[in-house]
Amino acid sequence: MEEAVIQIKNITKEFKVLNHREGVKGGLMDLFSRDYRIVRAVDDISMNVEQGEIVGYLGPNGAGKSTTIKMMAGVLEPTSGEILVNGVIPYKNRAGNSQHIGVVFGQRSQLWWALPLIESFKLLRDIYQIPKAEYEEMLSFYASIADMENLLHKPVRQMSLGQRTLSDILAAFLHNPKIVFLDEPTIGLDVSMKAKIRELILSLNEKKHTTVILTTHDMGDVDALCRRIVIIDHGKMLYDNDMDHLKGFFGSYRTLKIRVSGDVNGHLAEIQRQFPDMRTETEEGWITILVDEEKTGVMKVLNTIQESVKVRDVQIEEISTEDVIRKIYEGDMG
Amino acid sequence: MENKGFLFYLRIYRKILAQDIKSKMSYRADFIISTIGMVLTNVAGFISFWILFQNFSSINGWGYYEMLFLYGFSLVSITPVQCLFDNNWNLRILVREGDFIKYCFRPINLFFYFQSEIFDIKGLGQLAFGIGTIAYAWYRLALPVTVLAIVKLVVFLLSASLVMIALQNAAAATCFWLQNSFFILDFAFKLKDYSKYPITIFDPVFRFIFTFLLPIAFIAYYPSIVILRPDAIPLLSYLSPFVGIILFYLSYKFWMYGALKYDGTGS
Repeated sequence: MEEAVIQIKNITKEFKVLNHREGVKGGLMDLFSRDYRIVRAVDDISMNVEQGEIVGYLGPNGAGKSTTIKMMAGVLEPTSGEILVNGVIPYKNRAGNSQHIGVVFGQRSQLWWALPLIESFKLLRDIYQIPKAEYEEMLSFYASIADMENLLHKPVRQMSLGQRTLSDILAAFLHNPKIVFLDEPTIGLDVSMKAKIRELILSLNEKKHTTVILTTHDMGDVDALCRRIVIIDHGKMLYDNDMDHLKGFFGSYRTLKIRVSGDVNGHLAEIQRQFPDMRTETEEGWITILVDEEKTGVMKVLNTIQESVKVRDVQIEEISTEDVIRKIYEGDMG
Repeated sequence: MENKGFLFYLRIYRKILAQDIKSKMSYRADFIISTIGMVLTNVAGFISFWILFQNFSSINGWGYYEMLFLYGFSLVSITPVQCLFDNNWNLRILVREGDFIKYCFRPINLFFYFQSEIFDIKGLGQLAFGIGTIAYAWYRLALPVTVLAIVKLVVFLLSASLVMIALQNAAAATCFWLQNSFFILDFAFKLKDYSKYPITIFDPVFRFIFTFLLPIAFIAYYPSIVILRPDAIPLLSYLSPFVGIILFYLSYKFWMYGALKYDGTGS
């Protein structure tokens, strides 16, 4: 079996943070202060990622996702633990590591702002020393999956956010890296642009067998792209397994959505009184109830509700990925 | 610079430069206005220099054309920092906002990649102005025109510009540690205004400071004395090429040290 492209063993990253004092006097005292506290951003994380996988790396804000990625990209040195990317220790050879990875960090474009995209591509070709044939092949592949005519000759600064994100992703794959890190690639984009970007990532992954590490808050991204997810919170790993396994685990859960008329909040309070264990929420006249069928059948819940509340419409869905992850955050996996 | 050679970087730099100039030219109004601004700045600087000499026939034994030579020399030697290292002015903002992270993912030298991003074409006008001033002063001083003299001039101009680059690199790199480092960079850049006077006009304390602590005397005075007064060259003048190279190297190391410990907070 091939070696995993990313091997992480018990890495921890701690930051020293100054305890700030209040006010002008406190500010002056801070200058000479030795009053530090240690913040553990990443706490004992281990994982292996194989060539060609798309891994969703999820967690709430401040969970330590970006810190982990920065360690894999060689920008940060772990406080302890081992990390190998393509067989090398990233922080010891940042430039060498960069040759085989691509990074897209949210909305911070890495392209030359004033230049048309094609000129950025040519510069990247020289910087990464991409062979001419490979470069030509990649460009024609790009032309087959994206509307390149509209992109190539436009200066990056004149692009819309969606076009820029698209360009940044294409630029990250240009030198055919083994791994691409995508940090929030669809943030701030409209629905159709999101779909385009997901399609693009999928076809690049299929064609080049590139490993993709994706951090996102958008469950649409996760559902469309990831076969495996890793979840961290407070720097600790909560979950690392297949999407299907995760859904299987929560297979007994159903989402019951009912539409009611009149006083939605009043009805909601009534339902919460009847089923205090179940998570509920409301949105535009719909009440959503997360039901664990091992405890209570969905139909039984619906019947009970109907006795006191007039239901106008009903939907029963499988548990959404978002709900699954929320349940994991809340610690329901035990 | 890792395993990639000088020629590799030269080729990349040439290409970035060509693209950058092309794109700047396309913003024609911006280009013309900033060029006019640069010309006016230089003309104003020259006029104040000229007015000064309407009142004094010489300063501390330095005649008008010698001072003019020094003036032209300092203009030329601060051109490289202005043209090639202008991105240093953006460094503190990029670091504070977390955008500096984007420079950290390329398989090339970080310092090179960062500085290559911006070429300030306006400095070229200053270069032409400075060369003209040197040539005119050279002619009026009736200095001999020999190959050796020209070579000396070029070598000492280059080493002088390395000193200015080093000062600016070091000043800019303080932003990796300090929240508000603008005043340091601004201060370093304003120091150049003192470089166009002979160091002998300052009192001993400042002479010491400008030679050893903030070595701006190496931007024009020490190197140009080699050409102006070949009979009485102080030891420090001969050292100025080494001073330039060593200071540049140290400032590069300091800059890289800061950049490599940068952790990208804010992203």
